[in-house]
Amino acid sequence: MQFIWIMSFMSILTAVVITGCREQVKTAEDAQINIDLTVEPAELAVGNATLSVVLTDTEGNPIEDATIEVRGNMTHAGMAPVLASATDGEAGLYQIPFEWTMSGDWLVDVTVTLVDGEVVQERFEYTIATSTELYEGDVNDVTPESESNE
Amino acid sequence: MTAKLQQREMELYRPNTAIDLLQIPGLGRLLRWSWGRLVLQIPLFIAAVFLIIDGLTGPQVAPRNLATVAPWVHYRGLVVIALLLVGNLFCMGCPFHIPRTLAKRLSLRGRRFPKILRNKWIAIGSLFLLFFLYESLNLWASPSLTAWVIVAYFVASFAMEAVFTESAFCKYVCPLGTFNFVYSTASPTQIATKRADVCANCQGKECINGSWASQPIIRTDEIPITNETGDIETQARQVDNGPLGVLGCGTQLFAPQIKSNLDCVFCLDCVRACPHENIGLMVRTPGRELMQVDAWPKKWDISFLVIILAFMGVVNAFGMVPPVYELQNALMRNFNLTEMLTLLLIFLVGGILLPISLTLAVACLTQALTQTVKKYPLRHTVAAFAPSFVPIGFGIWFAHYGFHFLIAPLSIIPVIQEFVGQTAEWARFSVSADSGLIGLIQVVVLVGGFLWSMLIAQRTALRLYRRRGVQGLLPWALLLFLLMLTALNIFSLPMEMRGSVLLS
Repeated sequence: MQFIWIMSFMSILTAVVITGCREQVKTAEDAQINIDLTVEPAELAVGNATLSVVLTDTEGNPIEDATIEVRGNMTHAGMAPVLASATDGEAGLYQIPFEWTMSGDWLVDVTVTLVDGEVVQERFEYTIATSTELYEGDVNDVTPESESNE
Repeated sequence: MTAKLQQREMELYRPNTAIDLLQIPGLGRLLRWSWGRLVLQIPLFIAAVFLIIDGLTGPQVAPRNLATVAPWVHYRGLVVIALLLVGNLFCMGCPFHIPRTLAKRLSLRGRRFPKILRNKWIAIGSLFLLFFLYESLNLWASPSLTAWVIVAYFVASFAMEAVFTESAFCKYVCPLGTFNFVYSTASPTQIATKRADVCANCQGKECINGSWASQPIIRTDEIPITNETGDIETQARQVDNGPLGVLGCGTQLFAPQIKSNLDCVFCLDCVRACPHENIGLMVRTPGRELMQVDAWPKKWDISFLVIILAFMGVVNAFGMVPPVYELQNALMRNFNLTEMLTLLLIFLVGGILLPISLTLAVACLTQALTQTVKKYPLRHTVAAFAPSFVPIGFGIWFAHYGFHFLIAPLSIIPVIQEFVGQTAEWARFSVSADSGLIGLIQVVVLVGGFLWSMLIAQRTALRLYRRRGVQGLLPWALLLFLLMLTALNIFSLPMEMRGSVLLS
């Protein structure tokens, strides 16, 4: 039994050490860049969307040749994340196909890897409605009845 | 067999079963081993410590943190599957027992739990509190809060074991254990004795008293044994108790009289303590006790625990579909209530007041229709039909927890990968079961649970009211049907994984 207790203690100690060595990423403010994110369509509902990430430095100059990785997480545990990425940003604009897979609260983490290898991350929060919440009556009616829930 | 022996045997309970899981080679030896339970508990204890570490230091994004993914998705999903297929396995390996064992070793415990509190009312309150805090504090979205809940669990179990005897925390307080107790009554396994005559002649009753003693004690039990010709012979069997012995049943259940899984944590201490190897983990017909007269005590607290838990399953699921937000908004607008108060109101009405009032109304109606007002007290009528709420309640919880589990069953793997500093393979392990299949499973467990409940209610009504069985069944059938219909309706709505952002 002593062996089991020693192994347990070692496991916990290892976990503490590992978690203490986690990689820390910078925020956009720390890295002195701007990360702007806009979503199309603006009516946030379950379905396909396009995320537009604009990267600029503090003087407003576009940042190109960065690698953008987008990760959409729901706030509830156990939901599969939606992953997407882009590399070719013309004039600092990176367009990324995305899908809101479920209605609810989403956390969208945009991770930017700059040319010099620096990693910067910014988080955006959205609330996604079901498609029927946005449209009244026939769900095939394409005329939105309410504004975005953002 | 002597008449005295036959009489004693009749007083003891012995299930009609032949398969003892502890006879399986390897498995039985492991579980019967003195440290067998600890072997199950230690991995879960280490996991609990990892959850606390990640919850307090890891990313505060629920799907990426062990503290939220493991308990709110995988634990709940696996626990209902285990209860359905095997039994109360989580209580068997419960990591919160480890500090309790430490408290016992420190000999801090002494007094019994206050008599007035030796019932399930506190457990009902703790279940309500857990479900309410889960929704109101968005525990499902907060790794750090969940980690603190785990810490609080360890502290509470240690403190209660330090002060009280008879595993008061497990038996009277623990909401997780209470959930497991209730739905393990539908499980296909149960602790039971093999031969009632052996128990009748056992002098030490080690299954409940334990085989531990500070000094070695040797005694001789005279045990009747059936020989090859079928005759009964009495054999003297030496029993050695001493410092190497084990404790008896923590929740004070007497093995020969166990008719129900209620309060049984499957610790197998009774098995280890029994000097005659007369206790086993028996396979039985699933939910056998639900159809058995007098398997449960006729007490208000136990009856309402089972019924309230079924209704709480509906309320808990209701908290995740769009109409709850509309209801909350309406309550906030019309009564000028805060968001927290509206949620409390919904939980109190739907989870407590509604089940109690509907149950009492249905029981009164049953008595009136069957003209048994004088024959059966209201408490007996409710207690007789309470077991029929187990399968439908189990179906509701299974549909809910199963949904969360099946939507991303492998998501724990990349979370562990991130926890240990590896590159997480999210794309590989983010597979989800087909939504149509999940929906089908939900319908099957809900309708299956309802039909099972109806079978139990029908047998109860026929047993109690005979020719007026149909009249006796009707009010309960209606209540069960409404419960199933409400649950089906809720599960047919799109589930929303969100907090309170949409509330205006």
